[in-house]
Amino acid sequence: MSIDRTLAIAIRIVSQILRDRRSIGLIFVAPIMVMSLVGFSFADQRLVLDRVAPALIATFALFFTFMLTGVSFLRERSQGTLERLLTTPVGRADILVGYLLGFLVFAAIQSLVVLLYTIVALQIDYQGSFAEMVVVLLVLTVAAVNLGIFVSTFARNEFQVVQFIPVILAPQIFLSGVILPVAQLPAYFQAVSNVLPLTYAVSGLKAIMLEGRGLSGAAGDIAVLTSFAVALLALAALTVRRT
Amino acid sequence: MSAEAPPFEARDIAFSYGSLQVLNGLSLSVTRGEIFGVLGANGAGKTTLMRLLMGLLKPSSGQALVFGEPASPKQSTRVGYMPQLSALYTELSVQQNVDFFARMYGMSDRGERREAVGRALEWVALSERRGDSLLKLSGGMRQRVSLAIALVHRPPLLVLDEPTVGLDPELRASFWGRFRSAAAAGDTIVISSHTMDDAAHCERLAFIQEGRVIALGSPTELRSAVGTPDASLEDAFLHFVRHGGTR
Repeated sequence: MSIDRTLAIAIRIVSQILRDRRSIGLIFVAPIMVMSLVGFSFADQRLVLDRVAPALIATFALFFTFMLTGVSFLRERSQGTLERLLTTPVGRADILVGYLLGFLVFAAIQSLVVLLYTIVALQIDYQGSFAEMVVVLLVLTVAAVNLGIFVSTFARNEFQVVQFIPVILAPQIFLSGVILPVAQLPAYFQAVSNVLPLTYAVSGLKAIMLEGRGLSGAAGDIAVLTSFAVALLALAALTVRRT
Repeated sequence: MSAEAPPFEARDIAFSYGSLQVLNGLSLSVTRGEIFGVLGANGAGKTTLMRLLMGLLKPSSGQALVFGEPASPKQSTRVGYMPQLSALYTELSVQQNVDFFARMYGMSDRGERREAVGRALEWVALSERRGDSLLKLSGGMRQRVSLAIALVHRPPLLVLDEPTVGLDPELRASFWGRFRSAAAAGDTIVISSHTMDDAAHCERLAFIQEGRVIALGSPTELRSAVGTPDASLEDAFLHFVRHGGTR
């Protein structure tokens, strides 16, 4: 693996996105808009908002990151730039880690916007520290970036990658404890929820924000989320040559 | 790798996209220092051959050899590739695009890269536009950026897929002059095209149809096969297409 090539890819992605001012604006505006809507919806039910905030923060972080990465990586493929990159001596690991780092900058900003806006503007009551929440969210963001890259290798155009949103995200929203606690789901759905990254992000954030158990209380969830991130990166490495 | 190995050799290559057979027993060999043209109608298999040459595809049977070894991205430091799609980062500047690929080719030293990028941009007559975003450039100019990327690491083999599309006649003539200079210096250039104007500039040509070579030779040899004294290359191409091609 070449650190120079990896960094060059990451810097190139950051430079590209920075030059797209509308996208930069939307990276901030979209999560604020969505979380504002959430805030207004729960205006008269502050206690409910406090209870669902960890799940909503994790869900929107996953959603925005998956979208950003999936569409951006697909564009690399549809414009032929990924294929051209593959005609150079650059290795798969360089490419994937480079993309991960590049996308992660903006995905992490977007996830932090969701978190900060929820805490500061919506003024939810929570336990634990901001840093502990950031740890869980960053690990989720890394997993979501890798998920976006992996899934986009199966799409041939933007329309197809958008179709993956319900396929990939809907089961996570319904089965990861966002709407109903996992323990209240039928046994077969509980089994499915065990293989969904969002389950562990929601559980980890709840452990920190609602139960005040800190990072040690969320350690198991963070470990599983990290495993998801690594496994998804490995899967993306297997499929990255699909052009 | 053999010192005598041809820069590119296709040995009885077959390739299909699913049930669509694109190449069907294609064989040819390109010698060092020549400008070799691969000509055929749209869908004849030219781009597929180029992608096999770059190791982006694997033949279902037969062999694609680059400098005597199976074609793969490992040899990419010795091969410069210009794809049919310009495949550029449109948000970035001309310089940033070429510099990025120079880095991908292993030029980690900034000074070395600056020199290489400057030389490549001069080659394609874009030095004055180096700071411009690609969004401000015409299609022809983007083609030139794409060509600059292909040659920034000074490869001995250039693989150019429809390189002159979108270029004005003056620039096209200039490019062909430069291609000839590069070939005279020992570089090998493989060009795919569907225009007879490009074909006339090549030292040797392979006409391909339905994934097979139907004729192989110099433009003069191919024209003479038609049997009429003033036959053009277009006449020669149509002659081989209609008669199945045996040369």
